[in-house]
Amino acid sequence: MSDWVEQPLSWGNVLIYAVLSVVFLLLILGYVTYAILFERKVLGWMQFRHGPNRLGPWGLFQTVADVLKLLVKEDTIPHKADRALFILAPALCYAPSFAALAIIPYTRELYFADLNVAVVYYAALSSISTIAIVLGGWASNNKYSLLGGMRSAAQMISYEVPLILSIVGTVMMTGSMSLRQIAEAQGNWFWEWNFLPQIIGFGVFIVAAVSELNRSPFDLPEAESELVAGYHTEYSGFRFAFFMLAEYVYMFAIAGLASVLFLGGWHPPAPFLGFIPGIVWMLLKMAFVIFFMFWLRATMPRVRIDQLMGFAWKVLVPLAILNVFVTAVCLELFIKG
Amino acid sequence: MKGLIQGLGVTLKAMTTKKVTYAYPDVPIEMPDRFRGVQHFEPDKCIVCNQCARICPTECITLVGKPNPDPEKKGKVIDTYDINFELCILCDLCTEVCPTEAIVMTNNFELAVYSRDELFKDREWLEENNTNVREDNNNIGAPQRGGAK
Amino acid sequence: MIRTEELLLNVGPQHPSTHGVLRIVVKLDGEVITEATPVIGYLHRGTEKLAESLNYTQIIPYTDRMDYVSAMTNNYVLVHAVEKMMGIEVPERAEFLRLIVMELQRVASHLVWWGTYLLDLGALSPFLFAFKEREMIIDLFNELCGARLTYNYMRVGGVKWDAPPGWIDKVRDFIPHMEKQLKEYERLVSGNEIFLARVRGIGKYDAETAIAYGLSGANLRCTGVKWDLRKNEPYSLYDRFEFDVPVGTNGDCYDRYMIRFEEMRQSLRILKQAVEQFPSSGETMGKVPRAIRPPAGETYVRIESPRGEIGCHIVSKGKAEPYRLKFRRPSFMNLQILPKLLVGETMTNLIAILGGVDIVLGEVDC
Repeated sequence: MSDWVEQPLSWGNVLIYAVLSVVFLLLILGYVTYAILFERKVLGWMQFRHGPNRLGPWGLFQTVADVLKLLVKEDTIPHKADRALFILAPALCYAPSFAALAIIPYTRELYFADLNVAVVYYAALSSISTIAIVLGGWASNNKYSLLGGMRSAAQMISYEVPLILSIVGTVMMTGSMSLRQIAEAQGNWFWEWNFLPQIIGFGVFIVAAVSELNRSPFDLPEAESELVAGYHTEYSGFRFAFFMLAEYVYMFAIAGLASVLFLGGWHPPAPFLGFIPGIVWMLLKMAFVIFFMFWLRATMPRVRIDQLMGFAWKVLVPLAILNVFVTAVCLELFIKG
Repeated sequence: MKGLIQGLGVTLKAMTTKKVTYAYPDVPIEMPDRFRGVQHFEPDKCIVCNQCARICPTECITLVGKPNPDPEKKGKVIDTYDINFELCILCDLCTEVCPTEAIVMTNNFELAVYSRDELFKDREWLEENNTNVREDNNNIGAPQRGGAK
Repeated sequence: MIRTEELLLNVGPQHPSTHGVLRIVVKLDGEVITEATPVIGYLHRGTEKLAESLNYTQIIPYTDRMDYVSAMTNNYVLVHAVEKMMGIEVPERAEFLRLIVMELQRVASHLVWWGTYLLDLGALSPFLFAFKEREMIIDLFNELCGARLTYNYMRVGGVKWDAPPGWIDKVRDFIPHMEKQLKEYERLVSGNEIFLARVRGIGKYDAETAIAYGLSGANLRCTGVKWDLRKNEPYSLYDRFEFDVPVGTNGDCYDRYMIRFEEMRQSLRILKQAVEQFPSSGETMGKVPRAIRPPAGETYVRIESPRGEIGCHIVSKGKAEPYRLKFRRPSFMNLQILPKLLVGETMTNLIAILGGVDIVLGEVDC
């Protein structure tokens, strides 16, 4: 795969890239279908019940049925809503999430793009989705949606700062912002992965990531802000499905980022396990991160909005800055000097 | 921090334990014997004393008796006996006061119907509803023989 | 020029939280509540009026449906009032059965409260954990009296059913299982920092306010007033058993939470002693005349239900039906403090406070 990607651009290559992207899109849609099912299953197991198991063997067709239901629902647009923006918002939310998947390297050879500013690329794209959320809240012509949209935008913006700051430590350790090189630079034993030297950064990253995704315990927009509605109230049917799709694709992206930046990417935890191909390790690590998010959702109550903002600015940002400082000092004293 | 980690531990442990859900309706639920389900009526035992209709808190039992067709026997036999299940709260007072255990509860509880008309059960239906009949009836409120109020 | 407008928001009657059909009309200034008015009556079924045309045994199923989460205590308050008016003595085994059943009901009711409170706060799992244990209690009741929620179990002068063989042993086995589960619940929730931050310091009031508003149960004890009718005015056999009454200090939601949690433990303690002292034989019904006609007069009895003090006032004119029957329902009284408590709070705190008061709409509307 890396050979195809490294070649200069020509019409034949564009066709190949288009086909690969479509294949990947279908894979991602399959992932979303089964991630939703697994979320409900895991939540069920943690609550002493089976989760969905009536539709299809073991409940495998549950999400298919849900998506079909959403598809056949009536497409309502509120009367005085801004039509163009209303229709644009879900698509604008989803498109950057899919584009952000381009930079994640799955193995040494399997990747779509090896940007040398990959970290910044991801941060930029995820901010576009924040705009889409405000757009959705505004275009609904519903003051509760607007309030909910502003509040969730505030949440996502304030948690992007510690998210990116926590990654700076790994960038400094590797010397490059390219995700492939960061993954490459981590060693073959699990204690050589970045999460141990960067333990503060890893903690901040996980907390900020859960909040970026609007998942429990930070799921105020989804909980309809406790009776004042969230930004996707007026969206029904397939448009609503788009917002949910964007959330799950972001979950995939965050899992990919966490695995690559902190958990060693495609490296096995010990060299003697190296006979298992790297893609398996990468997928295992991503699955673990996603499972961790389901696990958090099953356990934690919701955080209040003022506590949420206070936590971001008063706890996570100072911790992330401290992490950068400590990393810089250690690098200067122990590695270079 | 410690509280959060402990909570995560509890849910993880819960994931591995046995599930407590029933597979109803694929698997029928076993109710204990005393369960108060839909009534079963045996017209032969009924002496038309009217206690059940009098004690019913929601007045859902209506019954009509007729003189015994056999000219030698005294007393009445039951002619029609209807229970309106829109009103019946399955409280069990009717079986408590019946002196002959003509009306007893069963363990059947599935009463869902598509139309409200079908909820007005008559004597034949109650007579045919004879599966899972309750054995322990404990009619402590029944008037004693020969000593009506 | 920017000005803010006051928003009138209707919380309910279809609630995302699971309390029932309560409607709170809230005036919001931005995020802060300036005025809150509960509107009730959506579940009013006219129990007290219906009671004027039913005799006492027929009213017992109706009392089940008032506070449907803790039906046994409702049965008891009516039956106890009539027994007090008529001077009927209840045999010991029947009284033991009543006490065991009421304490089990207290545990079950507090489990419902715990599960739904945490569900309001956003934690999805404790609800299922609580109902797993509650299912065991409900199964015990199912074996005893044939119903899972509306028991119709107590009668004037005793109880309807005797314990089936093996039932007391099942109760005995349930107690250590429940104690272990309570420890699990503590590990899941009570130490959780997010939960503590949501609940500490919210909805404070002091003892004078609590007494002035007529609060009872955990809502009163959270302010430091040690008042539990099982200890202060013992009824049934409560004076034979040793148990503590948990009392709070701050008067906030966290204290109410801890008190109810501790009350579950104390109920298990009472149950343990009751099962040990359970008489091996005895009658289940006392000497009751064929027709229950209390003499003319009135009486008021009150007992400690899981929600607070439930009272039954009967005015009788010597007939088989009461002339007037009034229930003093704890949820109805406890709800009175809500307008005062909610002023100045945010919407998220409204949910936490409402859950902490522990109301059941069947009881509020009667």
